[in-house]
Amino acid sequence: MSEYMAVLLISLSLPLLLSFWPPLKFYRRFSAFTAAIGATLLVFGGWDVLAAARGHWSFRQEAVRPFRFLGLPLEEILFFVVIPFCCLFTWETLKYLERKFRKA
Amino acid sequence: MREYTLLAIIFAAAIPVMDRIFRTGLMKNRLFYVFLAVIFFFKLLVNGYLTSRLIVIYNPAMFSGIRLGSIPLEDFLFGFSMVGFCLIVWEKAQNR
Repeated sequence: MSEYMAVLLISLSLPLLLSFWPPLKFYRRFSAFTAAIGATLLVFGGWDVLAAARGHWSFRQEAVRPFRFLGLPLEEILFFVVIPFCCLFTWETLKYLERKFRKA
Repeated sequence: MREYTLLAIIFAAAIPVMDRIFRTGLMKNRLFYVFLAVIFFFKLLVNGYLTSRLIVIYNPAMFSGIRLGSIPLEDFLFGFSMVGFCLIVWEKAQNR
């Protein structure tokens, strides 16, 4: 496994595990997930394609697998799925905690 | 101004505008700032790792050259606009 992939898996592990926690009911919101993560992937992945092509940044060869799509390693594309998921998880968890504390 | 700097400023400035247009009310929501603080912490870990290990290598000709530790300043604007954008679409998709 590439080093970058390990970073993504570690980032995803706890949010993904906790998202099955019943109070969040994450699994019921599939269409909203698709919309939010899909739009983020398109817009910010698009920025990334442009930035990589213009040489704003590059990826260390030994840290990613050789696969490229539009100049981006698979790991960099997955970044725009994993990180938005972690953000939505964090946001919904904070909303849940706020509701709980207000009731108490 | 360097290209990455300019793009990062434009995208970050677009978020409050988008928040108003879509009436998602994030900028006026106290919880959004708690969210940003939590994300900021995890961003320091992930982005810090990616940049200090040179997994992603930045071209000095394309950004300001200012870094917080190993993280280019522009990455904070990139991060803010990305998570802000994601939450706006998410909130809009919930409230339909």
